[in-house]
Amino acid sequence: MTFKRRGGAVLAVAAASALVLAACGGDDDEEPTGDSGQAEEDQGSDSDSDSDSDSEASGDVCREDLGDLETQDDTIFYSTGESEWSGYNSDTPSTYSTYNNVINSRMSQSFWYWGTDGSFCEDTDFGTIEVLEEEPLTVQYTINDEVSWSDGTPVTAADFILEWGSESPTMVNADGEPLFDHVSGTDYGEYAPDGPQGDPTGKQFTVTFETTYADWNLLVGKMYPAHVVAEQAGMSIEELSQAILDGDTEAVEPAAEFWNTGWLSPNPGELPDPELVPVTGPYRLKEGGWEGGQYITLEAYDEYWGPAPGTQEIVFRFAAADTHVQALQNGDLNAIEPQATVDTLAQLEGLAPDITTETYPTLIWEHLDFNFMEGSPFADDLALREAFAMCVPRQQIVDSLITPIDPEAVVMNAREVFPFHDEYDEVVEAAYDGRYDQPDLEGAEAKIAESGAETPIDVRIGYSAPNPRRTDEVSLIKASCDEVGFNIIDVGSEDFFQPGGTQESGDYEVALFAWSGSGQIASGQNIYATGQPQNYGEYSNEEVDAEWQTLATSADPEVHLEQTKKIEKLLWDDLFGIPLFAHPGVVGYDSTLQNVRPMSAQDGLVWNEEQWYRAE
Amino acid sequence: MLRYIFRRLGISVLVLFGAATLVFVLTINSGDPLADLRETSADNRDELIEARIRTMGLDKPWYERYAEWLRGAVGCVVPGMQCDLGVTNQGQDVLALTESAMSATLRLVIGATVLAIIVGVAVGILSAVRKYSGFDYVITFGAFIFFSLPVFWAAVLLKEYGAIRFNDWIADPRMSVTQMIIIALITGLVLQFALGGDPRRRLLTAGAAFAVVLAALAYFDADNWFRDPSMGLGVVILVSAGAGVLVTSLVTGFSERRVLYAALTTVGAGAVITFALQDVLEDGGYALLAGLFVLTVAVSVAIGAAWGGHMRRQAMLVAWVTGVIMSVVVVMDYAVSHWSAMLELKPRPVLTIGALSPNFEGDFWERFLDTGTQLLLPTVLLTLISVASYSRYTRSSMLEVMEQDYIRTARAKGVSERAVITKHAFRNALIPLTTIVAFDFASLISGAVVTEQVFGWRGMGQMFINGLRAVDPMPVMSFVLVTGAAAVLMNLAADIMYGYLDPRIRR
Repeated sequence: MTFKRRGGAVLAVAAASALVLAACGGDDDEEPTGDSGQAEEDQGSDSDSDSDSDSEASGDVCREDLGDLETQDDTIFYSTGESEWSGYNSDTPSTYSTYNNVINSRMSQSFWYWGTDGSFCEDTDFGTIEVLEEEPLTVQYTINDEVSWSDGTPVTAADFILEWGSESPTMVNADGEPLFDHVSGTDYGEYAPDGPQGDPTGKQFTVTFETTYADWNLLVGKMYPAHVVAEQAGMSIEELSQAILDGDTEAVEPAAEFWNTGWLSPNPGELPDPELVPVTGPYRLKEGGWEGGQYITLEAYDEYWGPAPGTQEIVFRFAAADTHVQALQNGDLNAIEPQATVDTLAQLEGLAPDITTETYPTLIWEHLDFNFMEGSPFADDLALREAFAMCVPRQQIVDSLITPIDPEAVVMNAREVFPFHDEYDEVVEAAYDGRYDQPDLEGAEAKIAESGAETPIDVRIGYSAPNPRRTDEVSLIKASCDEVGFNIIDVGSEDFFQPGGTQESGDYEVALFAWSGSGQIASGQNIYATGQPQNYGEYSNEEVDAEWQTLATSADPEVHLEQTKKIEKLLWDDLFGIPLFAHPGVVGYDSTLQNVRPMSAQDGLVWNEEQWYRAE
Repeated sequence: MLRYIFRRLGISVLVLFGAATLVFVLTINSGDPLADLRETSADNRDELIEARIRTMGLDKPWYERYAEWLRGAVGCVVPGMQCDLGVTNQGQDVLALTESAMSATLRLVIGATVLAIIVGVAVGILSAVRKYSGFDYVITFGAFIFFSLPVFWAAVLLKEYGAIRFNDWIADPRMSVTQMIIIALITGLVLQFALGGDPRRRLLTAGAAFAVVLAALAYFDADNWFRDPSMGLGVVILVSAGAGVLVTSLVTGFSERRVLYAALTTVGAGAVITFALQDVLEDGGYALLAGLFVLTVAVSVAIGAAWGGHMRRQAMLVAWVTGVIMSVVVVMDYAVSHWSAMLELKPRPVLTIGALSPNFEGDFWERFLDTGTQLLLPTVLLTLISVASYSRYTRSSMLEVMEQDYIRTARAKGVSERAVITKHAFRNALIPLTTIVAFDFASLISGAVVTEQVFGWRGMGQMFINGLRAVDPMPVMSFVLVTGAAAVLMNLAADIMYGYLDPRIRR
C-alpha cells in the first residue's frame, strides 16, 4: 500500500523494507512501518527550530526531559502485530523487520533517536556529537562516562568500531563476499573509509567522512556489544578493534560469524543466553518472559545508567492487528495504533473516557505520479499534465475521505516537507502559488486545447487494489476530469506494483500511491533524479538532478532548506506529479497512562515507552 | 475385528503416503521459494540466496528432498529411527514448531469436539423425541443460525460479551432482581420445553425450575458467590450421586437395583479417595490428575464388575461413566475454590487474545484456571458450530431409526419408552454420527485457523498458511502429517465404535 523511501545509504536506520515492491501489497504492514505524527498539539510550538529536519530538532518532537521517574511495579501491554520476535541482532536479513526493531529499540539507547515528526533528536544523556571540521566533514563523538552495557561493561569506541566494521566494504572474505550479513550494506564504510578513530576502550572517537553526505548523522549509532563478540571469537576487545580497522579479515571472520548467527532466535520461546545480550537501554529481556507465539517481556533493571523508566515491565503480545481494539477495551493491550478508518475511530471514541483517542497526520503521503515512459500521453506534454492537475479535485478528496478521520487534515502542497513541519509554509510559499488548489475545469479544457491532444484522452490510474479509499479517490477524479475531455479508467489491481505487474510494464498513465517519509534528508533523490531505483515513472529533468546532487552532498541545514525550495518549485512547475494528503493516523490508549505521544517513524507508539506510567 | 482394523490401517497409510506426495509436489511448485530474496537490495543477496538454497536443499531434485522428508517423518512413528521433520526456510526446527502448534490446536479442537458431541447428541435426541414440538423448532432455528455463523463476527460478539462485559461485571458481581427473574424465567421455559409432558406437568417443571434458580441466584448474589464460589465435598457427592442416578435411569432403569448400587458405590469410593488425597490434590499437577483419572476408571469398572451379576456389562458401563463424571466434578470443585485467588492475581479473568496470561505466576490450580478461562471463548466458538451440525445429524438419524419396524415391535411388546430410546434406537442412531465426527475432527483442525487468529493462538492453521505463502514445504508437510494422522486415528476410532455399536460389524 505504501512505499518506503530508500536512501542511497542508511538503509537500515531508515527502516526501509528490503522488499520495497512487496510492501505495497501491504495490509497491516502499513501501520507499524510508516506513520509518524507530530507532537501533541497542546504542547505548543514554541520551537526555535528553523532548521530542516536534519539538525537537532526542537524539544517538542523529541522526548520530554522528565528526569528520573519512579519505576512503578506495573506492566504495560503493547502489540506490534503477529510477528514473532526474531532476535537480538535486528540488522541481519532474517531479523530485519519493523516489528523486531520496535521491540529491540526499547532495549537500546544511542547518540540519537527519531523524533515524533521524523526529526533527528540527539540523546545528550548518552553522549554528544560535535562537528569539528566542515571539509572534510569530521565529527567527534563522545560517550558519557556513566554509559555502560547492562552487564557493567562500559560502552566504548570499540562498539562503534564494530558497527563500522559490519558495514565496511573492507570486510570481505577471500571470495570477495561480505563477512557481515548487514542489511544496510557497506555505505557507512564507503563514506567514512578510515572508520572511527580513537582508543577502543576510551569514550571518544572521531569519524571523518570522505564525501559529505546529507544524512551522515544517521550512519553512526546502532551498535552491538563488541566485548561479547570479542569474547565469542576468542580475542580481546583491542585485538578485535585493531583487526577491523586494519582490514585483517581473517582475524575478524570468527567475530563476524558470531555477529551473523549468534544473536538470532529462530525458535520462538527460546531466549538467548543473558550473557550474550547486554543492552544499553532501560529495558532488557526478562528471563522466562518469552512464550512462543504469545508474548515477549522486557523488564527494567537497577543497574541502568540513565534516567529510570516509569514502568517495570513491558509485554509485547503477538496478536493480529484486527484484534487490537477489543483487546484495548479489555485491558489486554494498553495502547494501540490501529488502521486509521472511520469505523475504528468511532469504535475507539465510543470507549471514552477510559480510552483516550488521538488522530494525527502521519509521515505517509498520498500522491498521483505521471508516467513519463515512452507512449504515455503525459510524457512530453506539460500542458496536458497541467490540464490533469487542474481537474483533480484535491480539496474535495481530502474533505470527503480524510477529514472524517482527522478534522485538521489539509491538502498537501509539498513532497519533501509535511504540513506539520515548521518549514512547510516557507517551502510551499517559495514553490507553489496555489494554482491547483481548486479544480479549474475551463482552464483544463484550454490546456487540453493548447496541447492539441485528441479528446477523449484515456488516462489509466493504477494503484494496488483492493484499497477502497483509492477506489473512491479515482472515482472523484473521474467525476471531475471526465468533464474536460479525459477518460479516467480505474486500473487498480493486486499486482500493480509487483514485479512484472502493470506499473513495471508501463501500462498506465498515472500511478496513485503513497511514500512513507523516513526522516532522511536526501532520500528523495532516489525518487526524483534520473535513473534512480524509485523513480518508477522514469521522470528526467537535468535541473532537478543537479539540485538534488547539491542537496545530497551538503551537510548544511541552510543549504538543505534552500535546495528543497528549489526542487519543490521545479517539481511543481514541471509537474512530476500531484501531492494529495498525508495519511491520517489513529492511536488509542488507556487514559491512565501518562506521556503517550503519537508517533512512529519506526519505533511506533512505544517510542518513548520508558516515560509511560500509570497515574494513580 | 483385528484383521479388519489392520486392513483399514494399511489402507490409511497408503492414502496418507499418496496425499503427502501430492501435497509436497504441489507445494514446491506453487511458487518461488526465493522470491523475497530476489527482490532484496541487500549487498550479500547472492550469499543469502545460496544459504536459503542450502537450508531448503533446493539444489537437489524434488524426489530426493521428498525422500529425505519421508525418511525423517517415518522416523517419527518407527521406533529406533530419528524423528526429523526438517527445517523451515529460516532454519527453524519444524518438529519443535509442530509440537507447540499441535498442542495449541489440539487443546482447542479436542475440547470443542467432546463438548460438541455431548451437547449435540443430547440436543439432537431430545429434538427427535419431541419432533415438531416448540422445542424442536427452537433447536432447529438455533442450529441453522449457528451453522451459518461467520466465525470472525461471532468471535467479536463473544469477546464483547464473554470477555469485556463479563470482566466488567465480575469486578462487582451484582444482579438486580429483574435480572434474576429473567434468568430464572428463561431457565424454566427452556426446561419445560425440553422435558415436555402435558400442560400441567410442564407448568410444574417450569415453576419448580423458576423457583430453584431464583433462590440459587439470590443466594449467590447475597453471598458474593460469583467472586468467591465454593462447592465442598458435600456438594460434590450430591452432584455425583445425582449424575449416577441419571446415568442408571438412562441405561437400565431402576428395576435392577444392583446397577444403581454400582453407581452409588462408585460415588462413595470416589468421595473416600478425594477426601484421602485432598492435600495432594491441593498441590495439583497434570500428571497427578491423569493418573487419578486412570485409577478412577479402573476402580469404577471393578466396582461395576463386582456388583454386576447378570447385569455385569451395564453395571460396569454405568459405574465408569459415573466415575468419569465424578472426577470432572472434583476437578471443578478444586478449580472453583481457587477462583477468588485467581481474581486477585488477574482482576480481568477472560482475555480477548492469547492462550495464557503473560508471566502469570500462581499455583497449579490458578494456572489451570488461567489457561482454562483462555480456552473458554475459542472452545465455545468451535463448539457452537459443530453442535449445530451434530444435533441435526443426530436428529435425522434418530428420526429414521424411530420409524424402523423393530422399534414398533419393541413398543408393541410393552417395552418402556425410555428403554426403546436408550437401548434400541439411540445406539443405532449413533452409527452415522460416528462417521461424521471422525471426518469432522480433521477438518476442525484446519478450520480452527480463523478462530486461532482472532483469539491470538498460534496453531496448526497458522503454520500451514505461513508455510504455503513462503513456498516452504516442511511446515506444510508436517501439517499434512498431523491432520492426516488425526484423520486416520479418528477413522480408526470410528471403526472400533462401529464394532461396538453394531455387533454385526464385528463378525
